[in-house]
Amino acid sequence: MISKLLATIRKEIWLLLRDRVGLSILFLMPMILIFVMTMIQDAAFKTLNEKGIPVVFVNQDRDSLGSMIEYGLRNNDLCTFYDSIDGQPATLESARKAIADGKFLIGIVVPAGATAAIRENVTALIAETIDNSGDTTHTDPSKVAVIDSVEISILIDPVTKKSFITSITSNLREFISEVKTKIMFETFSKEIAEIIPDNNGKGPRNAFQRTQIIRYNEEYASRTSDTVVPNAVQHNVPAWTIFAMFFIAIPLCGSIMKEKSEGSAFRLHTMPTSYLLLTQGKLIVYVMVCLIQFMLMLSVGLYFLPMLGLPKLVLGHSMAGIAVLTIATSLAATGYGVLVGTLASTEQQGAIMGSLSILLLSALGGIWVPTYVMPEAMRQISVFSPLNWSLDGYYQLFLRQGGLSDILIYSLKLFLFFVITLGCATAINKWKRRI
Amino acid sequence: MSHSAIIEISELTKKFRNATEPSVKGISFSIERNEVFGLLGPNGAGKTTTISILCGLFPPTSGTVKIDGKYLHEDLASIRPIIGIVPQDIALYPTLTARENLDFYGHMYGLKGKELRSRIDEWLEKLGLTTAANRPVAGYSGGMKRRVNLIAGVLHRPRILFLDEPTVGVDVQSRNVIIEHLQELNKEGTTIIYTSHHMEEAENFCTHVSIIDHGRILTEGSPASLIAAHPGCNNLETVFLHLTNRKLRD
Repeated sequence: MISKLLATIRKEIWLLLRDRVGLSILFLMPMILIFVMTMIQDAAFKTLNEKGIPVVFVNQDRDSLGSMIEYGLRNNDLCTFYDSIDGQPATLESARKAIADGKFLIGIVVPAGATAAIRENVTALIAETIDNSGDTTHTDPSKVAVIDSVEISILIDPVTKKSFITSITSNLREFISEVKTKIMFETFSKEIAEIIPDNNGKGPRNAFQRTQIIRYNEEYASRTSDTVVPNAVQHNVPAWTIFAMFFIAIPLCGSIMKEKSEGSAFRLHTMPTSYLLLTQGKLIVYVMVCLIQFMLMLSVGLYFLPMLGLPKLVLGHSMAGIAVLTIATSLAATGYGVLVGTLASTEQQGAIMGSLSILLLSALGGIWVPTYVMPEAMRQISVFSPLNWSLDGYYQLFLRQGGLSDILIYSLKLFLFFVITLGCATAINKWKRRI
Repeated sequence: MSHSAIIEISELTKKFRNATEPSVKGISFSIERNEVFGLLGPNGAGKTTTISILCGLFPPTSGTVKIDGKYLHEDLASIRPIIGIVPQDIALYPTLTARENLDFYGHMYGLKGKELRSRIDEWLEKLGLTTAANRPVAGYSGGMKRRVNLIAGVLHRPRILFLDEPTVGVDVQSRNVIIEHLQELNKEGTTIIYTSHHMEEAENFCTHVSIIDHGRILTEGSPASLIAAHPGCNNLETVFLHLTNRKLRD
C-alpha cells in the first residue's frame, strides 16, 4: 500500500518535472500576478493617500478664504496644487476646459468677494443681535447687505469613479467649511472686540482653536498592541495567493484528463489499485506544489515588494495558524481540481470549466472586490465560496492579528469542502464507469 | 462448462447507456487454462466490449463471468492481481522513460524493490529495449511503444493475459518478437485471450478461436477445425469472411 502510494507520488513528480515550462508557469505566473496586482492597487491606494491628485485652483476671491484654501491645498498630502494652466493663471473657463480634457481631476473655484460675503454675514448677524438687544451705538443693520450664500465650485473630471470623487470632495468640503468657520470666528472676534474692548485692548485670542472641541482619532482595531495598517500588500498578497493556489485545479485536472486520453487511466482501472490511492498520490504532490506556491508568493510580499518601495507583508503572530489554514486551502484547491478533472470529458472542457469556475468563485469570494462592497444578495452567496473562507482566515491572521483558534472554523470549512469534493469525484468516477 | 476452464462466460449482455441496441448479446463461452484464445470479429463486433468486461472495466448489463472459479464482479479485488492487459491503444506516460513507466506500473501490480528491477531489466533485454530504456517514450517508434506496452501488462506474470490487437501498426520484426514472447509466456502457463484483425497471425498463434459479429458468437473451435468445417475455405481469413460477409463496417 505504502509502496504503491510512494510510486504514485514519484510518478506525479516525474510528470511535473518533465513539463518544465508548465512547472515554471505554475510558479512564476502567480508571483507575477501578485507583483502586478499589488503595484496596481498600491498606485490606487497612493492616489488617495499621497501627493498625486492633480487639483487646479482658481482664486477669484483674493482674500482670506481664497488664500487659506490655497495654503491648505499647497500643504496638503492629498493633492498636487496647480493655479495656472499652460503657463497662464487659471480661470473658471480654462479650468473647466482643462478638467474636461482630463488634465486635472478636480478644480476648485472660489468666487470673487467670497471672504467679504462671509464677513458681512457675520457683521450683519451681530448688528441684528445688538439691535434686538436695544444697543444702537454700533452698526446700523439696515446699512449691512446680507448675502445668502457663497458658492464655491468644485469641478470634477467626468471619467473619475464616483466613489473616489465622493471621498475627495467630502475631504475638500470639510476643509473649506473649516476655513469658512475660521473666517467667521475671526470676524466675530473682531466685531466683539470693537463692542466690548478687553483690558489689554486686544480681541479674544485663539477663538477658532477653542471651537475645535471635537477631534477625531482613527485607529485600526486590533487584539494586540502592534496594529497592522491595512495596505495593498496586506490585502493583495493573501488574496492573490489563494487565487493562484486554487488555479492548481487546472493543471491537476489536466493531469487527470491526460491520463484518460493517453490510455493510462484505462490500464490503471484494470490494476489491483484503488482509485482513491491513485488520487491520493496526485493530491499529495499537488498539495506540495500549492505549499511551494504559497511560500514563493509570501516571499514576494516579504522580500520582493519591499524592494520596489511597497510595504512589507506582516504575517501576524500565528505560524501554526498560517500552516493549518494553508494546508486546508491547498487540500480544498486540489480536491476541487480532482472533481473538475473527474467531471470533464476532455482536456479543453476541463480547462474551461476549471478556469471559469475559479474566476467565479474568486469573484464571489472577495478576491477581486471586497465582499462588504457587494450587494446584499451577492454577500449572501459569497459565504459559499471556499476562496472566501480562506481569505477571511488569512485576514484574521494578517490583519486582525488572530491566532490558530480564530482560523479553525475557516480551516474546518475548507477541509470539509475537500472531503465533499473528493467524495463527489469518487462517486462520479464510479457512475461514469457504469456505462 | 469444463472443470479446467479458467474463464466461464454465461449469457453475457452489455447495453451501453443511450445505445439503441446491446453491443454484446447474450454470449456464452469458456476458455481453458493455458489456452491462446482468439476473439475475432470485424469492427464493432463486440470484441473490445467483451474484453473490457472480462478485465473488470465495467459491469455487464446481464449474465455472469467467472474467472478462476470466482464471480468477476463480486470478487474483483482478488481477480485483478492475476490478470494482465495489453490495450489496443498505447497506455503509457509519454514524458516518462520506459523504465519509469514500467517501474510505476510494476508497483501498481504490487511488485517492488530488486524483484521489480530485475523483471524490468529482463523484459527490456528480451524485447530489445535496454539501450532506449532511459529515454522518454514519446520519442519511441510505434513498434518500441508497442513492446513497452506489452511489458507493462506482463511484468507481474499474470495467469490470464488480455491482448487487444497487440501488434497493430507495428513492423514485421516487432510483431515477430512480440508473438514469440507471448508464446513463451503461454508455455510458462499464462492463458492468453487475444483479439486481432490479423487473421494469419491468429491462425498461427491461437489454439482456440471464437468469431464474433453483431454481439453474437458465430462459431468457435481450433483454427484447423474451423477451416475444416467450412468447405471451400482454406484459411482462417476465408472462414472469417464467409461468416461475417464482405460488407464494409463502421
